[in-house]
Amino acid sequence: MNSHDYIDKYFEGSLTPEEQQEFESLLLSDDDLANNFAYQKQLKKAITLNERADLKRKLQGFESETRKPKSFKVWYAAASVVLLCCLGYYFSMTSTSGLYDDYYQTYPNVVAPTVRGEGSEDLTSKAFYNYDAGNYEQSAELFSSLYDTTHEDYALFYKGMSLMELKEHKQAIGVFNQFDESKQSRFTPFVKWYKALSYLKLGNKEKSISLLKDLSNTENPQQKQAKQLLTELE
Amino acid sequence: MENAPSLIDRLKSNDEKTIRDLYNDNKPGFLLFANRFNLNKDELIDVYQDAVIALVENAKKGRIDDLKSSVTTYLFGIGKFMIFQKLKKNKKTVPNEDLEHLEFEWEEVDEEDKDAQILTLREGFKKLGEQCRKVLTLFYYEEQNLESIQNQLGYSNKDVLKSQKSRCLKQLKELTK
Repeated sequence: MNSHDYIDKYFEGSLTPEEQQEFESLLLSDDDLANNFAYQKQLKKAITLNERADLKRKLQGFESETRKPKSFKVWYAAASVVLLCCLGYYFSMTSTSGLYDDYYQTYPNVVAPTVRGEGSEDLTSKAFYNYDAGNYEQSAELFSSLYDTTHEDYALFYKGMSLMELKEHKQAIGVFNQFDESKQSRFTPFVKWYKALSYLKLGNKEKSISLLKDLSNTENPQQKQAKQLLTELE
Repeated sequence: MENAPSLIDRLKSNDEKTIRDLYNDNKPGFLLFANRFNLNKDELIDVYQDAVIALVENAKKGRIDDLKSSVTTYLFGIGKFMIFQKLKKNKKTVPNEDLEHLEFEWEEVDEEDKDAQILTLREGFKKLGEQCRKVLTLFYYEEQNLESIQNQLGYSNKDVLKSQKSRCLKQLKELTK
């Protein structure tokens, strides 16, 4: 093997442990090789910085696109207001269901991200694994037994979320009702939010509105969305 | 699980629409989830962008070919990791939550931004011809081996590719003299 092949294999990540040792001792004795190697490592960093900067610029571009409302959006919005006014009364049931679809979003797994398949046999990992994979029937059951054993808020919350995914809104409300409202947890605003959406889906506007009012009046992550939905409902 | 080409494959090919959709689709969820940390909206968007960059980079490097979780979960895991880094940097308290199970490799190069040689290399690299930029990017950035680059770019054998690569390095040295 020519001494420069060691450098290539280093960057490929294909040096065997013996070759690694040979390479290290070559670097000590061969200045030319060592300089070349150092140069290529610097180049790797330079290219990495360039690539990251390019993509960053692109993403910032996406960001300014969404912030600038385009004129047709205004027309679209105006048209939809007119449409909503005319049709709103007649289709109140279908429109609440439509609003549900507009606002409902699968709550992400924020407790145990990136669970690998092997070696994660405990209940928590299994439950989240199924939730992430979209096996909501399994995840509902697993979170349920997880809650029975641990009484962790998140287990109850994700049980409710799994049921919502399964369109079992009555059951989901039952689960959300088990939360102790006097106890503030990081899930409290989300429990209210998803409970409001479940009532909306079931056509119970009053209950939905009262929860949303509650959310609109306090500082919380769902405040803005709650206000928005509220104006659409009222 | 997904129909071909999978999301990860499309990220590898640097498909702009895929990246745009991924970015827009996951942003509201990420902001929702990251809201409870002590960072303002601009900082959160900045972190979110860096997390997307790391996701795309690791897809290209083939590090998430066997990802067991959803891409969204992985992305949020990276985001959380980066939020913790940022809080530490800002000397703010880091929440007492662990980042269990996050299998995430990431080379911090921010500090190298001030290294004069790297700055010269970054500028010089942009002046290279397209083929050279391609070869060097695939090799050093995407960490692909010579054989796969040879197949991708249609070189008749590995030695032709190797001499192309050393010609490119030589050109770069000329440009940055």
